[in-house]
Amino acid sequence: MEIFSIMMLISLMIFSISISLIKSLLGSIIVFTVYSLVMAILWQQLNAPDLAITEAAVGAGITTILFIFTLKRMRPDHSNHSDNKE
Amino acid sequence: MDDLILKKVVKFITPCIQLFGIYIIMYGHISPGGGFAGGTIIASSLVLQHITFGKNDMHFIFRKEMALKLISFSLILYSLIKGYSFFGGQFHLPHPPVGVPGNLLSGGFILPLNILIGLTVSSTFYIIFTLFSNE
Repeated sequence: MEIFSIMMLISLMIFSISISLIKSLLGSIIVFTVYSLVMAILWQQLNAPDLAITEAAVGAGITTILFIFTLKRMRPDHSNHSDNKE
Repeated sequence: MDDLILKKVVKFITPCIQLFGIYIIMYGHISPGGGFAGGTIIASSLVLQHITFGKNDMHFIFRKEMALKLISFSLILYSLIKGYSFFGGQFHLPHPPVGVPGNLLSGGFILPLNILIGLTVSSTFYIIFTLFSNE
């Protein structure tokens, strides 16, 4: 189980660096959701099931929905420009 | 959205999510969970229903004005109960009530406070979602 936790910690580092480097905004949101999900499993590994439930509900549920609706609202203003410029 | 499979699945899965959230709120003092976690789970089910069935169908179940009234009522009741617990003497600091596992009503004031937190958090997240989604 130690190896599994270490693998998840390394993947968390890769996710958090790649969130700021990915050009596509939707891809960055999806990587952020996966980050929250792996973080919830890691809280469970650290004997904190309360934080795991909260992280899975807030990080993977509500925050993703709010990010995607924000992206949907700001899309029509930039539709005449190219999408991958920002 | 006009998708038959999506509507059927959401009709089946929404009561299950709400039941899970209510379980987490009710057993928050003797098992992992609490008012905030259960409230966000119930809010995610409300958001799912709002996305799938649209704004007009959601108005039969849960209006934004009703959510505001629910938040105000819950916060007033929370402050009254918590203030009584602070100033009432034997309820709060010397021996805070620690629940017995398996006995739901053994937590003193923690169970009604958790229920009020759950109502406030679910209504707040639903209102934030309705602010973000362009009607």
